[in-house]
Amino acid sequence: MSSHVISTPRTTGEPGERILRYTLTERVNHWFAALTYIYCLITGLAFWSPYMYWLAAIVGGGPTARFWHPWLGVAFTVSVFWMHQMWDRDMQITDADRRWAKVIKLYIENDDQNLPPEGRFNYGQKLFFWLMFYGIILLLISGIGLWFVEDIPWSLRWLRYLSVTVHVIAAMATIAGFIIHIYMGTAMVRGGFTSIIRGEVTADWARTHHRLWHEEVMRRQPPPGAVGSRK
Amino acid sequence: MTNGWIDIRNTDMMLIMGGNPAENHPCGFKWAIEAKRNRNAKLISVDPRFTRTSATADLFCQIRAGSDIAFLGGIINYAIQNNRIAHDYLVNYTNAAFIVKEGFKLPEDGLYSGFDPQTQTYDRSTWNYEEGNDSGAVVAGHAAPPPATSLPPGAPKPLPPLPGKVGYDLTLQHPRCVFQLLKQQYSRYTPEVVERITGIPKDQFLKAADMFTSVRKDGDMKKVATVIYAVGWTQHSYGTQIIRTAAILQLVMGNVGRAGGGVNALRGHSNIQGATDMGGVFDIWPGYLKVPNPTDSDLATYLKRITPTASKPGPWDSFNYWSNTPKFVVSQLKSFFGDAATKENDFCFNWMPKVDRNYSWAQIWDNMYRGSVKGLLAFGMNGVCIGPDSQKNIEALKKADFLVVGEIYPDETSEFWRSPGITADEMKNIKTTVYRLACAGFAEKDGSMTNSARWLQWKYAAVPTPGECRLDQDIVAQIFLKVRELYQKEGGKFPDPIVKLTWAYSDAKRPPLAELLKELNGKALADLTDPKTQVTIKKGQQLPGFAWLKDDGTTACGNWIYSGCWTEAGNQTARRETGDPSNLGVYQNWAWSWPANRRVLYNRASCDPSGKPWDPSRKQVWWNEGAQTWAGVDVPDFKPDSDPKDHMGPFIMNPEGVGRIFGPLAAFADGPFPEHYEPIESLVVNALHPNQSNNPVVKKFKTDADKYAGPNDGYNVICTTYRLTEHYHYWTKNNPMNVQLIPEPFIEVPVELAQELGIKGNDKIKVTSIRSYYIAKAFVTKRIKPMMVDGKKVYQIGIPIHQGYRGIQEDAGRDARTILNRLTPTIVDPNAYTPEFKGFLVKVEKV
Amino acid sequence: MARSWQLKAGFMSEATLAIKKISGHPGPAPGANVERDYQVAKLIDTTTCIGCKACEVACLEWNGYTFTETFFDNSYQTMPATTWNYWNLIKFNEHEREDGTLQLLMRKDQCMHCADPGCLAACPADGAIVQYTNGIVDFQQQNCIGCGYCVSGCPFDIPKFDPTTKKMFKCTLCVDRVSVGLEPACIKSCPTGCLHFGSKEDMSYLAESRAKQLRENFGFEKAGVYDPSGVGGTGVIYVLHDVTNPEAYGGLPKDPHIPWVVRFWKGPAKWIGNLAMLFGVIGVTIHYFRYGPKEIHPRHDNGGKL
Repeated sequence: MSSHVISTPRTTGEPGERILRYTLTERVNHWFAALTYIYCLITGLAFWSPYMYWLAAIVGGGPTARFWHPWLGVAFTVSVFWMHQMWDRDMQITDADRRWAKVIKLYIENDDQNLPPEGRFNYGQKLFFWLMFYGIILLLISGIGLWFVEDIPWSLRWLRYLSVTVHVIAAMATIAGFIIHIYMGTAMVRGGFTSIIRGEVTADWARTHHRLWHEEVMRRQPPPGAVGSRK
Repeated sequence: MTNGWIDIRNTDMMLIMGGNPAENHPCGFKWAIEAKRNRNAKLISVDPRFTRTSATADLFCQIRAGSDIAFLGGIINYAIQNNRIAHDYLVNYTNAAFIVKEGFKLPEDGLYSGFDPQTQTYDRSTWNYEEGNDSGAVVAGHAAPPPATSLPPGAPKPLPPLPGKVGYDLTLQHPRCVFQLLKQQYSRYTPEVVERITGIPKDQFLKAADMFTSVRKDGDMKKVATVIYAVGWTQHSYGTQIIRTAAILQLVMGNVGRAGGGVNALRGHSNIQGATDMGGVFDIWPGYLKVPNPTDSDLATYLKRITPTASKPGPWDSFNYWSNTPKFVVSQLKSFFGDAATKENDFCFNWMPKVDRNYSWAQIWDNMYRGSVKGLLAFGMNGVCIGPDSQKNIEALKKADFLVVGEIYPDETSEFWRSPGITADEMKNIKTTVYRLACAGFAEKDGSMTNSARWLQWKYAAVPTPGECRLDQDIVAQIFLKVRELYQKEGGKFPDPIVKLTWAYSDAKRPPLAELLKELNGKALADLTDPKTQVTIKKGQQLPGFAWLKDDGTTACGNWIYSGCWTEAGNQTARRETGDPSNLGVYQNWAWSWPANRRVLYNRASCDPSGKPWDPSRKQVWWNEGAQTWAGVDVPDFKPDSDPKDHMGPFIMNPEGVGRIFGPLAAFADGPFPEHYEPIESLVVNALHPNQSNNPVVKKFKTDADKYAGPNDGYNVICTTYRLTEHYHYWTKNNPMNVQLIPEPFIEVPVELAQELGIKGNDKIKVTSIRSYYIAKAFVTKRIKPMMVDGKKVYQIGIPIHQGYRGIQEDAGRDARTILNRLTPTIVDPNAYTPEFKGFLVKVEKV
Repeated sequence: MARSWQLKAGFMSEATLAIKKISGHPGPAPGANVERDYQVAKLIDTTTCIGCKACEVACLEWNGYTFTETFFDNSYQTMPATTWNYWNLIKFNEHEREDGTLQLLMRKDQCMHCADPGCLAACPADGAIVQYTNGIVDFQQQNCIGCGYCVSGCPFDIPKFDPTTKKMFKCTLCVDRVSVGLEPACIKSCPTGCLHFGSKEDMSYLAESRAKQLRENFGFEKAGVYDPSGVGGTGVIYVLHDVTNPEAYGGLPKDPHIPWVVRFWKGPAKWIGNLAMLFGVIGVTIHYFRYGPKEIHPRHDNGGKL
């Protein structure tokens, strides 16, 4: 677990402790993944429908879009695997998640006070992570099929068709997750967006959304006067 | 071709054998396809391999290479046995009714009468007709051979002449009439014997025989069958006789002279017909005039020897067109020597070389190998690759003093000194001086080409010659002028033929081919008047045709058969009119066809004896009773005013006036009828006469390079050679477009043989003959099957000829750089001297 | 007879290049409802093909391609399949029939110019593949993005990728010749007349009459015309000795159609996916309107009832 409590130099007398939620590495990786995904999303949507083909124009036109899409797809994959390496343990589904999942309706309805406490990532975030993780595996494999379609022998042409199908379904699934992710990260859970940029959340924020994680952080490193290093 | 390319579209039946036109004459093969499409014509393909021609055939028979006479003889037998013969045609238009001399013997034992084993030649005096009276009965007192005077060395023994009136029996019953002899000769070629020799199962042979002869079912004369062949027939030690068998078959079936019929040789190069017409072989002058030999002490003697006299049944007529030979000869001499040729000096006859021996292709190389030929001018051919026995040719060139090669690419002949296997040290010891002259390609010159259909077609240069390349004729002219200059300066032993040769071209160093063609056509040297029509030709005018030629020196003509190609009306070979009112594909006004713009030779035979076409839907020529003349959509190949009642024979170039089923006297060296012999290298003995397996008059060459494998030498596979549609001889391996189509040389191997030897497709394999070896990749194919020949399982393989050691792939080191003709034996046909490239023995192994 | 089926001078050229279908294009094509007098078609009579490859060379020369390095592969066939710069290939097959007789089947392979082209259906790039009203399906390389979707869409394995320019290429049916009233280069080069070019109607008639002739006069009882309805018919039709076994002719598919996956992908899936994405966005928006952002409860210690 790499997160810990820090004191911020900007806090001047106010009791608001700030906790480091994402290290610099995590943030960089996230945004690397985000940008590559968004690029693939834009270009992928351009290839997906004539009504969105104009999207290709904003990233340099069709041929350029087609050229970079697979490469950035590979970059995205690398990023996701890196995330997996960093967050694998944090992302394991726990009993707390299972309890939380049963009352997810409360979460959707913003009745957070009545939700069971969650760890560093809640069940929804974990689901999103695994969706993207397995999604990218499928996208990568099927993407290679589309990338080198001519090299699939004619006798195995069902692989060509399978690639198309899998790529589309996997992309759609990640898009569904992506929409929710963006919504929650920006509009719904205030503070989340800042945290993935600056890395910090307030203790209150942490207690509200990830109490078990907050408690754990507190246990390890009591807040007042504590000095941490910004990573 | 007796007919022409386009005429093939008029046929009902095609026998394609010894040729693969779909691959080697794809543009001409269009007409075979049109016959199939438009007339439902059938195509029988007989070949050692299933070729791309076979792919379009209705029936394919895989034949053992070299057993063609057995197959064709079998069909003749089938036609006679099943009465699928053209009776009236046979009696009236062939020598079937002629009675052959007593003492003539058929080759039951492999030998005709008169064989001399010492010299391996025949005394052919019994190969003649009996003299007869007007009713055909044989009479005694036939002219004896001329008294044997002292003969110069090398001169052939004179033969008795043909009788002026022959004995005949129109009922064809006389036991010695040609028809009975023919019947007897081929009665031995039963379907069972055909199967034993050719390896074609009896039922399949019968299918082919039935299909081909079906055009004469119930004696109906309307349908026509054609025979199409190429070098698959000529390249045997009995090649001429294979073609003869086909000619006999076609005569028996009544298919010669008719639209959609004939015996049609497909020439391999665009102008090879022209080369032969122009005397490109040693034993003829231009226009198929026989060369003088040492017995021809003066013009008269020569003319007497080579001018035939009519020989026919008493009541019949014979045009005997070769009786005009003196006119052709004298006009040719006038063309050569101009004013120097006078009646008094025999028109310079004695300036012409008298040929005392065989100077054919294989002989030239043999002589060079033996050291008596010291130099070679090689234009338009790649002698090392062409073979046979390329290694012998390379060795021969090493012994020569000089070699001049005129080519458009660096070829194997001009670089014989760096053929694979020659080390740097050896190279130093090769003293031959090689001159390489950059020539022009076909698209870079004006001129005419003569195609298989005997058409002279004028073409224009499409592109200029690159760099310092020169036209071939310019090079030859400039060499000639230099030689003449030397003679003029230094005199020499015999300067006249060179110094006084006509050379009246507007540019002596660069003679325009248009002027040459005009010279070949001929012109009047004095005012001439036709006594019949009172038409006059002024001195100096171009002649309208060979009918105007004179033997008194008042006409000059370079080649009588080309007379008419460039008249006062201009260059006839450049005509491009596409009208064809006949709908028979005659195209009278497209280019110009020798002789006299006739498209189908012997076309008088397309009519019955009374002058009416056998098939009214294919009217070529006919007798116009009212006008008392022959008319037609084609130029009648006949005496125009000869009333059918006079019974003049349609084969006007034969002294008999009729087609020769029996080839009398000197016509052939090896027999008046064809007989099946085995190739010089064969796995089996001759099933007809085991004691006389090979052609008895064929002589082996005797240098240390000449080796021939016997059946027990371990060479157990029959090999045949061929060309691919993707390549043109040894030239297109320099052209990327062709090279990518077939990038590498290969050897076609039957699946079963490959399995036996553990060879897979694309494996490198080595083929070895007793002479040398060849390496290429294996093409394991179902298109060649093992066959049973005389109870023995026999494999055949096929190798395309195109590999050499100069070319795109060769230079890139992507093949073995072996020449196919290193494998082939030096052995030649006794009539045409063509080497036996097909059906020699090899062994096959994996490299 | 064959002559009369040749191109009627100039008739192909009138308004030939009006476009009927455009790939990756939002909205209809300008020529969508144009009914032309002539759909063009190429007829390949495999029964009279002699495998001379003149068409291969003519294709290269007309289209300006030069030398491709090839390798012998136990066949007369130039290369295993067409490539981006080798659009016309005769496929050879030594086919043994049931009665034991051999056939050397030779079939000129190239774009079939389907009436319902799978490549065009699959293509995402606006205007990279067009179908003219005369039926020719043509790639417009300036619009091609090189994605290779057309490869998946084609039931004949025809479109090929040029790795240098990253564009797809295939036979154009010599649209540049046809539009000025000339026949395609392959047709012009064919020595036997096994290739014909003209209106689809004429070519179909000629093909059927040839198939009939083969059945009645040459003993090919199963001779027929290959003009597969699965792709709406093709602009290239074949006469086959045995129309029941097209696979023997170098793998001509028996019942070609645009793969159902491609159809689904480019049809229903598109709308399902688009709607799903739209509803996703609408859904979260409504959620926001209804519930708004989550609040922070700093002093709430009883988090969770459980």
